Amino acid sequence: MTSARRKAVVSVGFALLALAAAILLAACGSGIEEPPAEAATGKGNEVEVEAKPSGDLTISNWPYYIDKQTVPDFEKATGVSVKYIEDVNSNEAFLAKMKPLLANGESGGRSLMVVTDWMARKMHELGYLQEFEPAAIPNFEKNLADNLRAASYDPGRDFAAPWQSGMTGLVVNTEKAPDVHTICDLFDPKYKGKVEMLNELRDTVPLVMKCEGVDVEHATEADWLKAIEKIKGAAESGQIRRFTGNDYTTDMSNGNAVAVIGWSGDAVQLQADNPNIEFRMPEEGCILWSDNMVIPVGAPNPTAAEAWINYVYDPVNQAQIEAFVNYVSPVEGTKEVLLKEEPEIANNKLIFPPPSFTKNCSIQPSPGTPKEEQKINQAFNAVLNG
Amino acid sequence: MSASASAPSRAWHWLREHAVLIIGVLVVIYLLVPIAVIFFFSFNNPSGRYNFTWVGFTLSHWENVFGIPELNEALWTSIKLALLATVISTVIGTMMALALVRHQFFGRRAANFLIVIPMATPEIVMGSSLLSFFLILGNPALGFNTLLIAHIMFCISFVVVVVRSRLIGFDRHLEEAAKDLGASPFTTFRLVTLPLIMPGIFGAAMLAFALSIDDFVISNFNSGTTVTFPLYIFGAFQRGVPVEVNCIAMILFGVTVLAMVATTLQQRRAEKMASVRPDQEEEIPIVVSTVGAA
Amino acid sequence: MAALRSRVSAYGLLLPGAFWLIVFFVVPLYFLGRLSLDTNELTYYKFNWHWQNYSDALSLYDTQFVRSFIYSGLATLICLLLAYPLAYAIAFKAGRWRHALLLAVVAPFFTTYLIRTISWVTILSAESPVVEVLEFLHIVNNGRLLATAPAVVAGLVYNYLPFMVLPIYASLERLDTRLMEAAKDLYANAATTFFKVTLPLSAPGVVAGTLLTFIPATGDYVNAEFLGGPGNQMIGNVIQSLYLKQQEYPAAAALSFVLMAIILVVVLIYIRFAGSEALMGEEGMAR
Repeated sequence: MTSARRKAVVSVGFALLALAAAILLAACGSGIEEPPAEAATGKGNEVEVEAKPSGDLTISNWPYYIDKQTVPDFEKATGVSVKYIEDVNSNEAFLAKMKPLLANGESGGRSLMVVTDWMARKMHELGYLQEFEPAAIPNFEKNLADNLRAASYDPGRDFAAPWQSGMTGLVVNTEKAPDVHTICDLFDPKYKGKVEMLNELRDTVPLVMKCEGVDVEHATEADWLKAIEKIKGAAESGQIRRFTGNDYTTDMSNGNAVAVIGWSGDAVQLQADNPNIEFRMPEEGCILWSDNMVIPVGAPNPTAAEAWINYVYDPVNQAQIEAFVNYVSPVEGTKEVLLKEEPEIANNKLIFPPPSFTKNCSIQPSPGTPKEEQKINQAFNAVLNG
Repeated sequence: MSASASAPSRAWHWLREHAVLIIGVLVVIYLLVPIAVIFFFSFNNPSGRYNFTWVGFTLSHWENVFGIPELNEALWTSIKLALLATVISTVIGTMMALALVRHQFFGRRAANFLIVIPMATPEIVMGSSLLSFFLILGNPALGFNTLLIAHIMFCISFVVVVVRSRLIGFDRHLEEAAKDLGASPFTTFRLVTLPLIMPGIFGAAMLAFALSIDDFVISNFNSGTTVTFPLYIFGAFQRGVPVEVNCIAMILFGVTVLAMVATTLQQRRAEKMASVRPDQEEEIPIVVSTVGAA
Repeated sequence: MAALRSRVSAYGLLLPGAFWLIVFFVVPLYFLGRLSLDTNELTYYKFNWHWQNYSDALSLYDTQFVRSFIYSGLATLICLLLAYPLAYAIAFKAGRWRHALLLAVVAPFFTTYLIRTISWVTILSAESPVVEVLEFLHIVNNGRLLATAPAVVAGLVYNYLPFMVLPIYASLERLDTRLMEAAKDLYANAATTFFKVTLPLSAPGVVAGTLLTFIPATGDYVNAEFLGGPGNQMIGNVIQSLYLKQQEYPAAAALSFVLMAIILVVVLIYIRFAGSEALMGEEGMAR
């Protein structure tokens, strides 16, 4: 071997060593085996208040949760350039993915994320969220629907602005499962293997508790575990075909399932594929929730994020989103705009539910203490992974 | 044997004679059906978001293959990742193969073991152990870099195995001849050894590329917020995989099959010209020998 | 002197690869083991020699472990039964179609794994022609094939079949056909020839193929995710969910570690029986 070649080999070796050493050094931050430092409080983060939003804005949202026109319209109106990513498929998986970043005060470039109530609460408790600058979001202060103004976890609406609200209830193929009217009906052996439930703990289990007659907003650990036990029995007997995320819509549209626990907005969209599919309010009532826009600590451009919140809280802009998304709008005045333009949507009680329609519904509950939550979570996931 | 066989028994005889071939063809059909379905459904025109039932024929998705920015970004990430992982793992894997075949040294068995063991480990164990490693070290930057590290890791063993099988069938007299003619070791390596093992290296690189661009399990653990092509598909399954994904899958498929046919032909020609391995009358395609060797 | 130089250059050549595999394969296994002994303190994880993770995880998920081995064992067996005739046909019966058939076997490798699996969702869904035919034949009831154990096993068979075909083909192809002719000349019938000559000589390929199928199939979770229901989840699904959703890292690490250990033991026992050439095959190839 010539010395030239040996040198080459040795230097490649050293280069790799150096690369790996650099990686290891860079890695020596705080691992998961150290208690987290005092939660970085959102308030402490010096947010420079700029007069005018500008620059880039990266938004993480759930798939199919916006029309095609709103982003370009917003860009034109404000001069902010938006990178809109649909990378939230599950609250838990999203947190697991973001946690290493957020714990270090980073957000991977995101200035706005959309998560469900309980996740917004959890992220806030972990110190991962910033508070809004009220002066930057006058439309939000003015137009937020009255019934959403005081969330239990965010009474002043300081860090979580609802993006859309929705109902969890029954999605039914009226031709193949005409007589499913209650959550309890899902356990009817007639529909064995054609029933599906959501893999979200806080959607599926409270509805089953309702079938059991439990007051879900005051449910105890034992109530949760009992409902999970019931679900487990149905899974083991083959009654429940699958536990799904958004993909229950697939199984509904190609006939694999005939009655499922699902979300109100999806049902409206599914009717495009199959007119026999509809959302049914369970006789026991539904679960009400909101997905919220939150600004993470380390957001590179909170000002632009606030401009976005302000923009979508204008009823005219909101109407455009609503006409595509079909969930429940949190913005006061949207219905009036739509009445003129698309009365069909304005009069759809799934999109603008009258109080009489939702009278038995409950705000989405969460298990009590973190220890209880962990235990209930384990039990539920053991059923999912049966 | 029995010339007086009646028609049914002749049919039976024919069937018996060809039974193996018939079963073989049926199995091949089984292997190809899903690919045909993917191809077929790339021309579908679904009414909603679900590309599961046939609605009508359209070319619009082929005309608009790169019309989904997120999908393009994921694809581009995958290609970049696969190219980098291929180059690096091929270089260091080939070096290892050379060391193992050409040299006797202390620790050879251990080195062999080190190479074999990743191939005997389920992907999920590799993925989760790497994630544990990154998590405990507190690496905040799960993403492209960690993906690259992982992909190189699981490609190395395959590269070594492929290149090694090539080196073992190698006629060292050619190198000695070159040396006798006064070539320096480096020149010998460059002008004799390298060209002769090149098909092996190329096959190894192709395998590494295929492994990397298709990897889902290990990537899912170590990607952080980076999205590769398979990860995009996994996420998209929740909400309906766009038809364009079928088109891109078919393009990737077409390109690799062409590349493979081309290498096989080229390889056969090279073999004929050099005929360095006279005992091997017909060359089997590289990827076959690859997996065969593994 | 020459020997010394050879050794030095050997280590030089080996260094980068060995380094990479040690740092990013072996060391992570240590961390996996370490994490499996942590306790979950809700906001962080603490190293505690908490062996109970193992007993907890195993008692909670023993069904999935057993199920994984049953599914992957079945899939491996079916793969073998399908792959051997195919490999045999390609090696001895295909004539000039040999390359085309080989290409067809390899082709699935070049179509993204996930899309192929999703393609089975299309093929097997309740209103597809395949299911309608099977229903007509009363093989399937209630239009249900998806979200069942057979669907998961079929998916595993499909995805790992080429890994079985190719090694068997490679060993058959190398086989000296004169031996088979000799057997015939000695008046062995076709079956005897096959069982006494062909099969034993292709054993290394069979061993390699079964390992290449069994190992990844056991750890697979994509097939169960797409094609299975709640009663069909495999251990891979559990590990995946514990890591990427629930953040129960210690339990996940414990399961992962046990999976690795069991597979190693199974493989070692298997190799004891079947000979080691297949896995450590380089010397076998030198022939």
